Amino acid sequence: MSLDYVKFSNGFEKFMPKEYRDMVEHGPFGRKVTVSQMGSFKEVLEEHPMCAGCAMTLFIRLAMIAFPNPEDTITVGTAGCGRLAISQAAIPFVYGNYGDQNGVASGLSRGLRLRFGDKPKDVVVMAGDGGTADIGLQQVLHSWFRKERFTTIMLDNEVYGNTGGQESGMTNKGAVLKMAPLGKKFEKMDMVQLAKVAGCAYVATVVPNNPRRVESVIKKAVLVAREIGPSYIQAYTSCNIEYAIPTDKVMEDAKAVENDRYQFMEYVSEEAKQYLTERYGYKEFLAKQAAPAASISGKA
Amino acid sequence: MYLVADINVEICAAKNCKLCTQYCPEANTILYSDELGKDKGFKYGSAYVAVDRCKGCAQCVWVCDNMAKNHAIKMIMIDQLPQAALTENIMYGEKSTTAVLTSPVIG
Repeated sequence: MSLDYVKFSNGFEKFMPKEYRDMVEHGPFGRKVTVSQMGSFKEVLEEHPMCAGCAMTLFIRLAMIAFPNPEDTITVGTAGCGRLAISQAAIPFVYGNYGDQNGVASGLSRGLRLRFGDKPKDVVVMAGDGGTADIGLQQVLHSWFRKERFTTIMLDNEVYGNTGGQESGMTNKGAVLKMAPLGKKFEKMDMVQLAKVAGCAYVATVVPNNPRRVESVIKKAVLVAREIGPSYIQAYTSCNIEYAIPTDKVMEDAKAVENDRYQFMEYVSEEAKQYLTERYGYKEFLAKQAAPAASISGKA
Repeated sequence: MYLVADINVEICAAKNCKLCTQYCPEANTILYSDELGKDKGFKYGSAYVAVDRCKGCAQCVWVCDNMAKNHAIKMIMIDQLPQAALTENIMYGEKSTTAVLTSPVIG
Protein backbone atom coordinates (compact mmCIF):
# COMPACT_ATOMS: atom_id res chain seq x y z
CA MET A 1 0.00 0.00 0.00
CA SER A 2 2.66 2.46 -0.94
CA LEU A 3 4.91 3.15 -3.85
CA ASP A 4 7.58 0.92 -2.31
CA TYR A 5 5.57 -2.25 -2.00
CA VAL A 6 6.17 -3.19 -5.62
CA LYS A 7 9.90 -2.45 -5.70
CA PHE A 8 12.55 -5.17 -5.64
CA SER A 9 14.64 -6.04 -2.64
CA ASN A 10 18.29 -5.40 -3.38
CA GLY A 11 19.84 -8.18 -5.43
CA PHE A 12 16.54 -9.78 -6.46
CA GLU A 13 15.92 -7.80 -9.64
CA LYS A 14 17.48 -10.39 -11.96
CA PHE A 15 15.22 -13.14 -10.62
CA MET A 16 11.98 -11.24 -11.31
CA PRO A 17 9.98 -11.91 -14.50
CA LYS A 18 10.24 -9.37 -17.31
CA GLU A 19 6.60 -8.31 -16.89
CA TYR A 20 7.23 -7.47 -13.24
CA ARG A 21 10.40 -5.52 -13.97
CA ASP A 22 8.58 -3.56 -16.69
CA MET A 23 5.75 -2.80 -14.25
CA VAL A 24 8.13 -1.44 -11.60
CA GLU A 25 10.28 0.56 -14.00
CA HIS A 26 7.70 1.71 -16.55
CA GLY A 27 4.36 1.31 -14.79
CA PRO A 28 1.94 4.02 -13.65
CA PHE A 29 3.04 4.03 -10.02
CA GLY A 30 4.08 7.41 -8.73
CA ARG A 31 3.34 9.30 -11.94
CA LYS A 32 0.28 10.44 -13.80
CA VAL A 33 -0.81 8.42 -16.81
CA THR A 34 -3.83 8.98 -19.05
CA VAL A 35 -5.71 6.95 -21.64
CA SER A 36 -4.06 8.96 -24.42
CA GLN A 37 -0.71 7.46 -23.34
CA MET A 38 -2.01 3.91 -23.53
CA GLY A 39 0.34 1.59 -25.37
CA SER A 40 3.46 3.44 -24.23
CA PHE A 41 3.63 2.43 -20.56
CA LYS A 42 3.30 -0.91 -18.76
CA GLU A 43 -0.20 -1.31 -17.37
CA VAL A 44 -0.81 -2.82 -13.94
CA LEU A 45 -3.36 -5.27 -15.36
CA GLU A 46 -1.80 -8.52 -16.51
CA GLU A 47 -3.03 -11.51 -18.54
CA HIS A 48 -6.27 -12.98 -17.24
CA PRO A 49 -8.75 -15.70 -18.21
CA MET A 50 -11.68 -13.48 -19.28
CA CYS A 51 -13.26 -14.12 -22.70
CA ALA A 52 -11.85 -12.62 -25.89
CA GLY A 53 -13.45 -9.29 -26.75
CA CYS A 54 -15.18 -8.82 -23.38
CA ALA A 55 -16.30 -5.24 -22.85
CA MET A 56 -15.98 -5.72 -19.08
CA THR A 57 -12.26 -6.37 -19.56
CA LEU A 58 -11.91 -3.14 -21.50
CA PHE A 59 -13.74 -1.23 -18.76
CA ILE A 60 -11.54 -2.76 -16.02
CA ARG A 61 -8.44 -1.92 -18.05
CA LEU A 62 -9.56 1.71 -18.38
CA ALA A 63 -10.52 1.85 -14.70
CA MET A 64 -7.07 0.71 -13.58
CA ILE A 65 -5.53 3.50 -15.66
CA ALA A 66 -8.00 6.06 -14.31
CA PHE A 67 -7.31 5.47 -10.60
CA PRO A 68 -5.79 8.74 -9.34
CA ASN A 69 -3.25 6.94 -7.09
CA PRO A 70 -3.00 3.28 -8.15
CA GLU A 71 -0.26 2.68 -5.58
CA ASP A 72 -2.64 3.77 -2.79
CA THR A 73 -5.71 1.88 -3.98
CA ILE A 74 -7.30 -1.40 -2.88
CA THR A 75 -9.95 -3.05 -5.03
CA VAL A 76 -12.74 -5.17 -3.55
CA GLY A 77 -14.74 -7.62 -5.62
CA THR A 78 -17.01 -10.60 -5.34
CA ALA A 79 -18.14 -13.61 -7.36
CA GLY A 80 -18.66 -12.83 -11.03
CA CYS A 81 -16.60 -12.44 -14.17
CA GLY A 82 -14.96 -9.16 -13.19
CA ARG A 83 -12.84 -10.52 -10.37
CA LEU A 84 -11.05 -12.81 -12.84
CA ALA A 85 -9.33 -9.73 -14.26
CA ILE A 86 -9.39 -7.37 -11.26
CA SER A 87 -7.41 -9.90 -9.22
CA GLN A 88 -4.72 -10.10 -11.94
CA ALA A 89 -3.42 -6.59 -11.38
CA ALA A 90 -0.61 -5.10 -9.31
CA ILE A 91 -3.23 -3.49 -7.07
CA PRO A 92 -4.19 -5.32 -3.85
CA PHE A 93 -7.52 -7.11 -4.30
CA VAL A 94 -9.85 -8.30 -1.54
CA TYR A 95 -12.47 -10.91 -2.38
CA GLY A 96 -15.74 -10.54 -0.47
CA ASN A 97 -18.20 -13.43 -0.25
CA TYR A 98 -21.05 -13.05 -2.71
CA GLY A 99 -22.88 -9.87 -1.80
CA ASP A 100 -20.53 -8.94 1.05
CA GLN A 101 -18.25 -6.69 -0.94
CA ASN A 102 -19.65 -3.37 0.29
CA GLY A 103 -19.56 -4.59 3.91
CA VAL A 104 -15.93 -5.66 3.47
CA ALA A 105 -15.11 -2.34 1.83
CA SER A 106 -16.76 -0.40 4.69
CA GLY A 107 -14.49 -2.03 7.26
CA LEU A 108 -11.46 -1.72 5.03
CA SER A 109 -12.07 1.95 4.32
CA ARG A 110 -12.60 2.77 8.02
CA GLY A 111 -9.52 0.78 9.04
CA LEU A 112 -7.33 2.55 6.48
CA ARG A 113 -8.51 5.94 7.73
CA LEU A 114 -7.65 4.98 11.31
CA ARG A 115 -4.23 3.69 10.31
CA PHE A 116 -3.20 6.32 7.75
CA GLY A 117 -5.19 9.39 8.83
CA ASP A 118 -5.33 12.07 6.20
CA LYS A 119 -3.10 10.23 3.72
CA PRO A 120 -5.49 9.18 0.94
CA LYS A 121 -6.02 5.45 0.57
CA ASP A 122 -8.73 4.66 -1.95
CA VAL A 123 -11.08 1.70 -1.74
CA VAL A 124 -12.88 0.80 -4.95
CA VAL A 125 -15.53 -1.91 -5.14
CA MET A 126 -16.00 -3.47 -8.56
CA ALA A 127 -18.74 -6.08 -8.67
CA GLY A 128 -21.23 -7.31 -11.22
CA ASP A 129 -24.92 -6.53 -11.47
CA GLY A 130 -25.77 -9.68 -9.47
CA GLY A 131 -23.34 -8.83 -6.68
CA THR A 132 -24.45 -5.19 -6.52
CA ALA A 133 -28.15 -5.07 -7.34
CA ASP A 134 -29.46 -8.54 -6.42
CA ILE A 135 -27.52 -10.56 -3.88
CA GLY A 136 -25.54 -7.65 -2.45
CA LEU A 137 -28.29 -5.01 -2.58
CA GLN A 138 -28.77 -4.88 1.18
CA GLN A 139 -25.09 -4.29 1.91
CA VAL A 140 -24.72 -1.87 -0.98
CA LEU A 141 -27.66 0.28 0.13
CA HIS A 142 -26.63 0.25 3.79
CA SER A 143 -23.08 1.28 2.95
CA TRP A 144 -24.61 4.27 1.14
CA PHE A 145 -27.03 5.05 4.00
CA ARG A 146 -24.05 5.05 6.38
CA LYS A 147 -22.19 7.41 4.01
CA GLU A 148 -19.20 5.08 3.80
CA ARG A 149 -16.49 6.85 1.83
CA PHE A 150 -15.53 4.51 -0.99
CA THR A 151 -16.45 4.02 -4.64
CA THR A 152 -18.86 1.34 -5.82
CA ILE A 153 -18.65 0.41 -9.51
CA MET A 154 -21.26 -1.88 -11.01
CA LEU A 155 -20.04 -3.89 -14.00
CA ASP A 156 -23.50 -4.29 -15.51
CA ASN A 157 -23.61 -7.07 -18.13
CA GLU A 158 -27.36 -7.49 -17.55
CA VAL A 159 -27.07 -11.24 -16.91
CA TYR A 160 -25.53 -13.87 -14.62
CA GLY A 161 -22.85 -14.69 -17.17
CA ASN A 162 -20.78 -17.03 -15.03
CA THR A 163 -23.56 -19.50 -14.27
CA GLY A 164 -25.19 -20.00 -17.63
CA GLY A 165 -27.33 -16.95 -18.32
CA GLN A 166 -29.98 -16.36 -15.65
CA GLU A 167 -31.78 -13.02 -15.59
CA SER A 168 -30.71 -10.48 -12.98
CA GLY A 169 -32.49 -7.44 -11.60
CA MET A 170 -30.52 -5.37 -14.10
CA THR A 171 -31.58 -7.43 -17.14
CA ASN A 172 -33.68 -5.39 -19.54
CA LYS A 173 -37.41 -6.18 -19.67
CA GLY A 174 -38.22 -8.75 -22.33
CA ALA A 175 -34.66 -10.05 -22.70
CA VAL A 176 -34.58 -13.75 -23.57
CA LEU A 177 -31.67 -15.66 -22.06
CA LYS A 178 -30.65 -19.31 -21.84
CA MET A 179 -32.06 -19.65 -18.33
CA ALA A 180 -34.85 -17.12 -18.89
CA PRO A 181 -36.43 -18.56 -22.05
CA LEU A 182 -39.77 -16.73 -21.72
CA GLY A 183 -38.13 -13.35 -21.43
CA LYS A 184 -37.79 -11.17 -18.38
CA LYS A 185 -41.15 -9.94 -17.11
CA PHE A 186 -40.01 -7.00 -14.98
CA GLU A 187 -38.35 -3.67 -15.64
CA LYS A 188 -34.61 -3.12 -15.26
CA MET A 189 -33.87 -1.90 -11.73
CA ASP A 190 -33.23 1.83 -11.44
CA MET A 191 -30.05 1.64 -9.37
CA VAL A 192 -29.08 5.19 -10.30
CA GLN A 193 -32.17 6.58 -8.62
CA LEU A 194 -31.62 4.33 -5.60
CA ALA A 195 -28.05 5.62 -5.30
CA LYS A 196 -29.20 9.23 -5.35
CA VAL A 197 -31.95 8.62 -2.77
CA ALA A 198 -29.55 6.66 -0.56
CA GLY A 199 -27.20 9.64 -0.42
CA CYS A 200 -24.36 9.06 -2.88
CA ALA A 201 -22.39 12.25 -3.50
CA TYR A 202 -21.42 11.25 -7.03
CA VAL A 203 -23.40 9.02 -9.40
CA ALA A 204 -22.68 8.37 -13.06
CA THR A 205 -23.57 5.92 -15.83
CA VAL A 206 -20.99 5.17 -18.47
CA VAL A 207 -20.34 2.88 -21.45
CA PRO A 208 -16.77 1.86 -22.33
CA ASN A 209 -17.03 3.03 -25.95
CA ASN A 210 -15.76 6.39 -24.75
CA PRO A 211 -12.44 5.73 -22.93
CA ARG A 212 -11.79 9.37 -21.99
CA ARG A 213 -15.21 9.67 -20.39
CA VAL A 214 -14.65 6.44 -18.42
CA GLU A 215 -11.36 7.85 -17.19
CA SER A 216 -12.86 11.18 -16.18
CA VAL A 217 -15.84 9.63 -14.39
CA ILE A 218 -13.74 7.18 -12.37
CA LYS A 219 -11.24 9.86 -11.34
CA LYS A 220 -14.02 12.09 -10.06
CA ALA A 221 -15.79 9.23 -8.27
CA VAL A 222 -12.62 8.13 -6.43
CA LEU A 223 -11.70 11.71 -5.48
CA VAL A 224 -15.21 12.44 -4.15
CA ALA A 225 -15.17 9.22 -2.11
CA ARG A 226 -11.96 10.33 -0.38
CA GLU A 227 -13.64 13.05 1.65
CA ILE A 228 -17.24 13.78 0.70
CA GLY A 229 -19.21 10.55 0.64
CA PRO A 230 -20.06 7.37 -1.27
CA SER A 231 -19.83 7.40 -5.05
CA TYR A 232 -21.48 5.05 -7.52
CA ILE A 233 -20.69 4.30 -11.16
CA GLN A 234 -22.88 2.07 -13.26
CA ALA A 235 -21.07 0.81 -16.34
CA TYR A 236 -22.59 -1.15 -19.21
CA THR A 237 -20.16 -3.96 -19.95
CA SER A 238 -21.90 -6.36 -22.32
CA CYS A 239 -21.60 -10.15 -22.08
CA ASN A 240 -20.82 -11.15 -25.65
CA ILE A 241 -21.26 -14.85 -24.79
CA GLU A 242 -24.74 -14.80 -23.21
CA TYR A 243 -26.08 -12.12 -25.54
CA ALA A 244 -24.38 -13.72 -28.58
CA ILE A 245 -22.63 -10.55 -29.72
CA PRO A 246 -19.81 -11.26 -32.22
CA THR A 247 -16.58 -10.07 -30.60
CA ASP A 248 -15.82 -7.57 -33.34
CA LYS A 249 -19.30 -6.01 -32.89
CA VAL A 250 -19.00 -5.40 -29.13
CA MET A 251 -18.42 -1.66 -29.52
CA GLU A 252 -21.28 -1.41 -32.02
CA ASP A 253 -23.55 -3.01 -29.40
CA ALA A 254 -22.20 -0.65 -26.73
CA LYS A 255 -23.10 2.32 -28.93
CA ALA A 256 -26.61 0.96 -29.55
CA VAL A 257 -27.22 0.33 -25.84
CA GLU A 258 -25.82 3.76 -24.97
CA ASN A 259 -28.40 5.33 -27.26
CA ASP A 260 -31.16 3.08 -25.93
CA ARG A 261 -30.88 2.94 -22.14
CA TYR A 262 -27.39 3.96 -21.09
CA GLN A 263 -27.14 7.64 -21.97
CA PHE A 264 -24.32 9.34 -20.09
CA MET A 265 -25.64 10.73 -16.83
CA GLU A 266 -23.71 12.40 -14.05
CA TYR A 267 -25.05 13.57 -10.71
CA VAL A 268 -22.71 15.53 -8.45
CA SER A 269 -23.86 16.87 -5.09
CA GLU A 270 -23.26 20.57 -4.42
CA GLU A 271 -20.72 19.71 -1.74
CA ALA A 272 -18.86 17.39 -4.14
CA LYS A 273 -18.87 20.07 -6.86
CA GLN A 274 -17.32 22.59 -4.49
CA TYR A 275 -14.75 20.04 -3.32
CA LEU A 276 -13.73 19.00 -6.84
CA THR A 277 -13.45 22.63 -7.93
CA GLU A 278 -11.54 23.96 -4.95
CA ARG A 279 -9.31 20.99 -4.15
CA TYR A 280 -8.62 19.53 -7.57
CA GLY A 281 -9.23 22.47 -9.89
CA TYR A 282 -12.17 21.04 -11.87
CA LYS A 283 -13.45 23.96 -13.93
CA GLU A 284 -16.48 22.21 -15.40
CA PHE A 285 -18.60 22.88 -12.31
CA LEU A 286 -17.83 26.60 -12.19
CA ALA A 287 -19.83 27.34 -15.34
CA LYS A 288 -22.78 25.31 -14.10
CA GLN A 289 -22.79 27.17 -10.81
CA ALA A 290 -22.91 30.44 -12.71
CA ALA A 291 -25.93 29.34 -14.74
CA PRO A 292 -28.86 28.93 -12.33
CA ALA A 293 -30.99 26.90 -14.78
CA ALA A 294 -28.57 23.96 -14.82
CA SER A 295 -29.37 22.58 -11.41
CA ILE A 296 -28.68 19.01 -10.35
CA SER A 297 -32.28 17.92 -10.61
CA GLY A 298 -32.39 19.16 -14.18
CA LYS A 299 -29.41 17.02 -15.07
CA ALA A 300 -30.81 13.81 -13.66
CA MET B 1 -3.42 -22.09 -35.77
CA TYR B 2 -5.38 -19.01 -34.81
CA LEU B 3 -5.97 -15.43 -35.88
CA VAL B 4 -4.18 -12.43 -34.44
CA ALA B 5 -4.38 -8.74 -35.30
CA ASP B 6 -1.78 -7.29 -37.64
CA ILE B 7 -1.33 -3.54 -38.08
CA ASN B 8 -0.17 -2.08 -41.40
CA VAL B 9 2.67 0.29 -40.44
CA GLU B 10 2.42 2.37 -43.63
CA ILE B 11 -1.22 3.31 -43.00
CA CYS B 12 -0.91 3.60 -39.22
CA ALA B 13 2.19 5.82 -39.29
CA ALA B 14 0.46 8.23 -41.64
CA LYS B 15 -2.58 8.68 -39.34
CA ASN B 16 -1.46 8.30 -35.72
CA CYS B 17 -4.96 8.10 -34.20
CA LYS B 18 -3.96 5.59 -31.46
CA LEU B 19 -7.62 4.55 -31.05
CA CYS B 20 -6.81 0.82 -31.15
CA THR B 21 -4.52 1.18 -28.12
CA GLN B 22 -7.48 2.57 -26.16
CA TYR B 23 -10.11 0.05 -27.29
CA CYS B 24 -8.20 -3.26 -27.06
CA PRO B 25 -9.75 -5.21 -24.17
CA GLU B 26 -6.42 -6.82 -23.31
CA ALA B 27 -3.82 -4.84 -21.37
CA ASN B 28 -0.29 -4.38 -22.77
CA THR B 29 -1.31 -5.89 -26.11
CA ILE B 30 -1.56 -3.08 -28.67
CA LEU B 31 1.49 -0.94 -28.04
CA TYR B 32 2.89 2.18 -29.65
CA SER B 33 6.38 2.71 -31.04
CA ASP B 34 7.88 5.92 -32.41
CA GLU B 35 10.64 4.02 -34.17
CA LEU B 36 8.41 1.73 -36.25
CA GLY B 37 7.15 4.61 -38.38
CA LYS B 38 9.65 7.43 -38.05
CA ASP B 39 12.63 5.22 -38.87
CA LYS B 40 11.01 4.43 -42.20
CA GLY B 41 10.47 8.10 -43.00
CA PHE B 42 6.82 8.39 -41.95
CA LYS B 43 5.50 11.37 -40.06
CA TYR B 44 4.42 9.50 -36.92
CA GLY B 45 5.13 6.29 -35.06
CA SER B 46 2.95 3.23 -35.36
CA ALA B 47 0.90 0.92 -33.17
CA TYR B 48 1.78 -2.79 -33.19
CA VAL B 49 0.49 -5.97 -31.57
CA ALA B 50 2.18 -8.15 -28.97
CA VAL B 51 0.86 -11.31 -30.62
CA ASP B 52 1.41 -13.59 -27.63
CA ARG B 53 -1.17 -11.56 -25.70
CA CYS B 54 -3.70 -11.11 -28.54
CA LYS B 55 -6.89 -13.19 -28.08
CA GLY B 56 -8.08 -12.51 -31.62
CA CYS B 57 -11.36 -10.73 -30.82
CA ALA B 58 -10.97 -8.26 -33.72
CA GLN B 59 -12.38 -5.30 -31.80
CA CYS B 60 -9.41 -3.25 -33.01
CA VAL B 61 -10.37 -4.09 -36.59
CA TRP B 62 -13.88 -2.69 -36.04
CA VAL B 63 -12.51 0.41 -34.33
CA CYS B 64 -9.93 1.03 -37.09
CA ASP B 65 -12.46 0.43 -39.89
CA ASN B 66 -15.52 2.19 -38.45
CA MET B 67 -14.37 4.79 -35.93
CA ALA B 68 -10.97 5.81 -37.31
CA LYS B 69 -11.84 4.78 -40.90
CA ASN B 70 -8.20 3.92 -41.54
CA HIS B 71 -8.56 0.21 -42.41
CA ALA B 72 -5.04 -0.51 -41.16
CA ILE B 73 -5.72 -3.66 -39.12
CA LYS B 74 -6.38 -7.15 -40.48
CA MET B 75 -6.75 -10.53 -38.77
CA ILE B 76 -4.05 -12.93 -39.94
CA MET B 77 -3.19 -16.53 -39.05
CA ILE B 78 -0.28 -16.38 -36.66
CA ASP B 79 1.90 -18.72 -38.73
CA GLN B 80 1.48 -16.46 -41.76
CA LEU B 81 2.96 -13.41 -40.05
CA PRO B 82 6.55 -13.16 -41.22
CA GLN B 83 7.58 -11.16 -38.19
CA ALA B 84 5.80 -9.90 -35.09
CA ALA B 85 6.41 -8.56 -31.61
CA LEU B 86 6.48 -10.90 -28.62
CA THR B 87 6.28 -9.58 -25.05
CA GLU B 88 9.81 -10.79 -24.26
CA ASN B 89 11.22 -8.62 -27.08
CA ILE B 90 9.47 -5.39 -26.10
CA MET B 91 11.30 -2.64 -24.25
CA TYR B 92 9.45 0.24 -22.60
CA GLY B 93 10.83 3.78 -22.87
CA GLU B 94 9.72 7.17 -21.58
CA LYS B 95 7.00 7.89 -24.14
CA SER B 96 7.20 4.97 -26.52
CA THR B 97 8.15 1.32 -26.68
CA THR B 98 10.67 -0.50 -28.83
CA ALA B 99 10.12 -3.98 -30.20
CA VAL B 100 12.52 -6.38 -31.87
CA LEU B 101 10.37 -8.21 -34.41
CA THR B 102 10.89 -11.95 -34.73
CA SER B 103 9.03 -14.92 -36.14
CA PRO B 104 6.06 -15.52 -33.84
CA VAL B 105 5.99 -19.25 -34.55
CA ILE B 106 8.91 -21.09 -33.03
CA GLY B 107 10.04 -24.50 -34.27
